[in-house]
Amino acid sequence: MATVLRPPLPARAESNTLRAFEERMRAYLDERLQVRTRFASLGGTRALLVSPADRERAKGLVIDADTSTAERVYMYVHVAAHIALGHNIPLVTIVESDDVDADQMKHELAERLTRSMWWRGADAEVAASLPAVRTSRVLRSLLSWGATRALTRWALLAIRALAYRTGIVRALERNAATAWLGQALCVAAVVSAAPQLAGERG
Amino acid sequence: MRIQDAERVSKAVQTLRGTRSLDGLVDRLFDITEGSLALDRATLHRIARGQTRVARAIDTPQDCVRLYFALMIVGCEEDVPVETIVEEGHAILAGFVGDPLAALIFRDLSATLPKLRDRAALKEYLEEGLRIWLPS
Repeated sequence: MATVLRPPLPARAESNTLRAFEERMRAYLDERLQVRTRFASLGGTRALLVSPADRERAKGLVIDADTSTAERVYMYVHVAAHIALGHNIPLVTIVESDDVDADQMKHELAERLTRSMWWRGADAEVAASLPAVRTSRVLRSLLSWGATRALTRWALLAIRALAYRTGIVRALERNAATAWLGQALCVAAVVSAAPQLAGERG
Repeated sequence: MRIQDAERVSKAVQTLRGTRSLDGLVDRLFDITEGSLALDRATLHRIARGQTRVARAIDTPQDCVRLYFALMIVGCEEDVPVETIVEEGHAILAGFVGDPLAALIFRDLSATLPKLRDRAALKEYLEEGLRIWLPS
């Protein structure tokens, strides 16, 4: 079988920091939750989580190759929420798509837990796989509404561009401020890709 | 494994193989299942022609489930209509393991199918379905 285990090539605008979080979260799913991820064209369906008959065996997660890195980060947290809620019943596939289906209540419960895990963190390992600055109340309130979210993202991108252009980034390498900026951009990208994290329907 | 309705299973295999020769089908099934099916050419030929009720090479329910997924994947590759793939896949599984176990496995496909937009998505679902039944 043709298996694509690496995520598709990222769009140029996607940051290395965001890709690093995506990889860490994917590794967390693999190591701690026994979820093996691969990427394939799913023609509009966003993801499939296939659970084996035997709970000891690894689950299979297929993510649509067209999803962005930010959407994948959201999807991993959402899958972790489904598993925390015990939705991974043997031989039952969870399908993530925009369609309303019979499992709507299950998806809404997972959505609520995803929001909670994203903003407050679940266990230490999930938290370590995600940008630490997402717990900032200021950032959260700025990202809560469509208009302020777009403005915040634009402002963060502008600051980053300015910092690179003026060489400040090199001068302040590994500085707390540049790390905060990088992480804040990741959080803004993920919440923009999945506005339901802000409590809005995507 | 004793085939319960050899004629129906034969028809399903013939439909899902599309334009592939029986030898080509055996090679593809071997590839798809990563060599985990001990299905020899002679046995598959006899199953496909409805000439045997006993498939010694397929001797566990897991083997049957892998064959079910693999044949449906071949159906996707051969551009067999989705409804036909599902119907014939069910016939194969029921023919091998009987209706109660087949219904258990098949229920997930029935529930998932309406959420899949095209044949490519169905094929990915089937590939992942097969993967969780491969020997670890």
